[in-house]
Parts: sequence; C-alpha cells; structure tokens
Amino acid sequence: MVGRRGRDRTLLWLLTALAVLWLVPVLWMLSMSLQPNELLARTTSNTFLGLIPIPFTFNNFVRLFTLGLTPRWFLNSMVVSVGMTVLVLALSSMAGFAFARIRFPGRNLVFALVLAGLVIPEQAVFIPLYTMFADWHMHNTYQALIAPRLAVPIGVFLMTQFFRGIPSYIEEAAELDGASRWTIFTRIMLPLSVPALTTLAILTFLYAWNDYLWPLVSANHKEMFTITVGLASIQSNFAQSEGLGRVMASGVMASLPMIVLFLIFQRYVVRGIAMGGGK
Amino acid sequence: MDTTGAAQAAATRTAAARRSRARRLRDTVEGYAFAAPFLVAYGVFLIYPFFKGIWISLHSWNLLAVAINPAAKHFVGLRNYVHMVWGEHLVWSPDHLFLARIIGLAAVAATIAFAASGRLRWRSAALFIVVGVLLFGVALGIHPASDGRWYDRRFWHIVWNTLLFVLLTVPTVTVVALGLALALNRQSRHAAILRTAFFLSQVLSVTVVTLIWQLMYSPKQGIIANVLQSVGLQPIQWITNPHLAMPAIVITTVWWSVGFAMIIYLAGLQEIPEELYEAARIDGAGGWSILRNITLPALSRTTTLVVVLQIILQFQVFGQSHLITRGGPNDATQVLVRYIYQTAFQDSRLGYASTLAVFLFIFMLGFSLLQARLQGND
Repeated sequence: MVGRRGRDRTLLWLLTALAVLWLVPVLWMLSMSLQPNELLARTTSNTFLGLIPIPFTFNNFVRLFTLGLTPRWFLNSMVVSVGMTVLVLALSSMAGFAFARIRFPGRNLVFALVLAGLVIPEQAVFIPLYTMFADWHMHNTYQALIAPRLAVPIGVFLMTQFFRGIPSYIEEAAELDGASRWTIFTRIMLPLSVPALTTLAILTFLYAWNDYLWPLVSANHKEMFTITVGLASIQSNFAQSEGLGRVMASGVMASLPMIVLFLIFQRYVVRGIAMGGGK
Repeated sequence: MDTTGAAQAAATRTAAARRSRARRLRDTVEGYAFAAPFLVAYGVFLIYPFFKGIWISLHSWNLLAVAINPAAKHFVGLRNYVHMVWGEHLVWSPDHLFLARIIGLAAVAATIAFAASGRLRWRSAALFIVVGVLLFGVALGIHPASDGRWYDRRFWHIVWNTLLFVLLTVPTVTVVALGLALALNRQSRHAAILRTAFFLSQVLSVTVVTLIWQLMYSPKQGIIANVLQSVGLQPIQWITNPHLAMPAIVITTVWWSVGFAMIIYLAGLQEIPEELYEAARIDGAGGWSILRNITLPALSRTTTLVVVLQIILQFQVFGQSHLITRGGPNDATQVLVRYIYQTAFQDSRLGYASTLAVFLFIFMLGFSLLQARLQGND
C-alpha cells in the first residue's frame, strides 16, 4: 500500500512539473507585458529566460489605455459578447420551451429541421453571409458581428434537453391557477433553468470573445475590430511599431476576462463541454 | 331524469371538445410564437446563406465587380467544381501513391475481417468499406499524365495538408488528453488545480495563442531558441523550414486543444461504475491489467466521441496557419479554410471560394452525422 501511495505522489509531482511547463507560454506573455519595451527590444530572456519580470514596469498597461485602439477593441468585444450571449439565451430558451413543453402540430418535424442545422459549419456560410450584410450595408456594425451566431442550433438543443427533464406537474399546477404560458415560462421555467442557462451563457460568451473568422471578414474598419481581430492585426509587426511589451499587454487584456470567467464558472464550463461538446 | 342526465353529459362533452379544440389552437399559436424568434434567425442567417452559398458556387462571381454592378456575375453551372477536382490528361495507374493506397486497402481488408468474425456489425462497417474501396482502390490512382495537369494545381495539395494536420493533431490530442484524464481523475485539491492548469490554455483566443507561439518559435527571441543556445545548440528555424512548419502549428494546436478532450474523458471516467474496479481488484488484477481490460474498453464510446469532435474541429483549422506560418513556406501549411478565405477576400473569386466551401461541407458532413448519432444516443 505504501508503494502505491508513493507512486501516486511521484506521479502527481511529475504532473505538476509538466503543468508548470505547460503554462510557460502564458507566464512568458504575462512576464513580458510587465517588462520595459526597450529591454525587450534587446533581449527577451533577461531574468530566468524572461519568465520573471525584472526589471518591472506597469508602463505597457498604462500606455495601452492612453494610446492605440486596444481599449476600443476591448469595449467592442464586450458589447458583442454580452449582446450575443443575452440574445442567444433569450432565443434558445424560448424555442427550447416550445419544443419541449408545448404540443403543436409539426413540432417534431421543425425540431428535426433545426437539429439538421448542426451539420452546417460556420465556414460553409461565411461567404454568403458576407454578401448579405454587404447588400444591407451593415458591415462594421455590432449587429453584423452578433447576428450570424444567433442561428446556431446548439443552444436550442441544450435548452430543449433541459426543459424535457422538468416534471410536468409543476406546469399543470400553475395552469390550474390560471397562469398564462408566458407566466409559466418566465416565472417557473426560467428560474428552474438557471444552471443550464449559466452553462450556455459561459460557452456563448467564450465563443463570442474568441471568434476570429467572422469578425475578421465583417469588420474592416479598425475601430470596429474585436480584441481578437485587433490583436491579430498588431502581431505581424510587433517588433518594430508597437513594442513587444505593449503587444503582450494587449494579449493579456484579451485573455484576462476569459481566464477570470473560467476560474469563477469552471464547473459550468466543464459541464457544458461534457454535455454538448461545447461547439 | 335519465334524459336530462344524458343531455347534460352530451353538453359537457361538446364543451370539452370545444375547449380541447380551443386548447389545440392556443398550443399551436403559442408553440410557433415561442419558437419564432429563433426560427427567423435560423432561416435568415443559416439556412438561406447555406443555399445561397451553393448558388454562388454555380457562378463566376468577382467580389469587387459584383459589388459595383450586381449583374456582373454569370452562371457557369458545375464548371467551378470541375476546375476544383479535375484536370487535363488525367490517367489512372495502379501504382500511383502506392504506399498510402496499400495502407488504406489494408485497413479496408481489416474491417472486412472484423465484420466477418462478428466483432463489428456489417451495417457500421459497410460505409467505410465502400468509401475505402472507392477512395484507395480507384480515386487515389488518378493523376495527371506527363503532359497533363490539375486545373487547380494547389487544391489537392491543400486538401492533403489539411488531412495531414488532422492526422497529426487528433491522435496526439487524444492520447495526451487520455493520459492526463487517467492521472488526474481523483478527488484532491492538488489534482483539481492541475486539471485547471491543463485546461487554461483552452480558454485563450486563437490570436493570443498565435501571438505567444510565434514568439516561442522565433529563432532570435524565442524561448525555445534561448534554451537551446544556453546549452550550446543552434536555434531551430521552426517557421521557415518546410519540414518543421507543419509540426510547429501541430504542437501549438495540441497545446491549445488538449483541455477540451481531457474534460470529455474525465466525464467518461466518472461514468464507469466503481463496482467494476472493486471486482477486478478482488480478482487480484494489477493497475495495468485494470486499465487494459476495464477502463479502456469502458471508454471506447468516449474515445470515438473525442476523435470525431476533434476531427470536425481540426478540419476547420484557420488561425494557426493564417497567423503563425501564413500558409508557408511555399504552401507547406496552407489549409482549406485559409484557401477559401484568400480565394474569396484576396483574389475576390467568390464563386470558386464557395465551391471550395461546399467541398469542405461535404467532407465534414460524414463526421458531423457520426457526431449527431453518438450524442443522440444519450
């Protein structure tokens, strides 16, 4: 027994070393964002391979907020991600409620058609979507960045599954009391589905914040970039124009909301992936 | 008394029928009303563009010309498709791509043997056998004769690059994720922290990932080069060496996407009943034997799910190739989605780009259907 315990402990410490190694790229980015630009232009491995920010400075972050478009991109990402999340939750929960709890003619057929949409990848529709939004003169708007994602059926699928699991007597009791469908939906169903909604919200927010292809195609005014696209636009020439430290500070800004969100809601992210593949 | 009772009962019945008809009408209206907002978005932003994409692929359609004059496109039928997959003076030879085809045909033969021995159902094997014979036996033997050429010289090379990327990434991610999940499937704070650490890279956006890894690989400033130089070795030219560019974006992708697969494996491990392990331990089975005879077989469905999800995800690779290697050197890391993006938005050839997108869709359809079946069984 002692041997087994000992082996287990060794394994865990080996994995700990591997985890530290695994995080080196992230730590390096963080460390560089806290070192002076002039130093980084000379060497990226000043103290302990550059993993420890000595000499230390906050200047990169300070200048990030006074110069350049990073704060604007950050704001754009927030607007798009929050807007998309709220709308996806509203549309998915309403449709999920209809498919799971209301008996209407054609329901199974419509639901099957919706599920069929799961096989269409974003890459198969981004060119026609581009021409549509161009025809409507709607590129470089928040609406254009948000709208295409509202059509993805994974949220409806998750919410339908969830609502199907709620026992029907709750609904019947409310109906006997004369509650309308809308009341049942908002007062009974939504409060019961907070865990499912949280999971869907986190996954949608993550997707919105990190999406690259559609914002790259749709937003071509620098002021309308999301932080993900903006970061791509400054990384090709980072050494010359912006300074390595500042580009890394932008990278930290782009990652921080996701990391914080993940650390707080880890349970929900994990459940979402285990449930639906988290597409 | 009797007659009034019957009349009353009849009246109740008609009232009930009227109520239920009213109820049905209400359900219909409300059902569609609740689903309507999503259905509208679904129709406008997914179904309509999907068919419009197919329609665009049947045209010669220049992005800039059509933007100025909507009539500047013309219908060409299937010409874009022919241009994509076909060529001039193509011939079939039995020994073209010999090794790949022999390996492929051996896999088909193995599948037939498995099915014949009853270890695999014919129904599940049939599709792979048919597609395998057609692909390895016939299709891969087609190539241009010495005086011939593919109409699109880059297309098949890019398809191969994309497949190579998938072939290198998916097994690596799967094995690493399985190993981590097996090691970290325990209830301790230490293991929980390690799970978080290995998943953390997954929540970064592709542009953050490429920002860091571009610099990691840099022969002048990169941390890998710095380490090598400190022990007196030459820095590695990851990005500019045509043999190392693909491994470079594969390593980055594995680092980025292991967390996701690890979580699915951890969920799968939770579902294995504890009694199975106890029974095995009473029988005196050791750790290795338990892993081989109990854990791995119990995880076979999870493994299929992980592999299928990864294939779908990695087939759509774009950012890593676009930002780290820019498809290079010399198309060595050019992949399908980047080719579609460039054909549409740099060359302005929307018609042909849509044809490529339809190809991507068809290629992925099989895997998407497989995924739907795997997850639909829950």
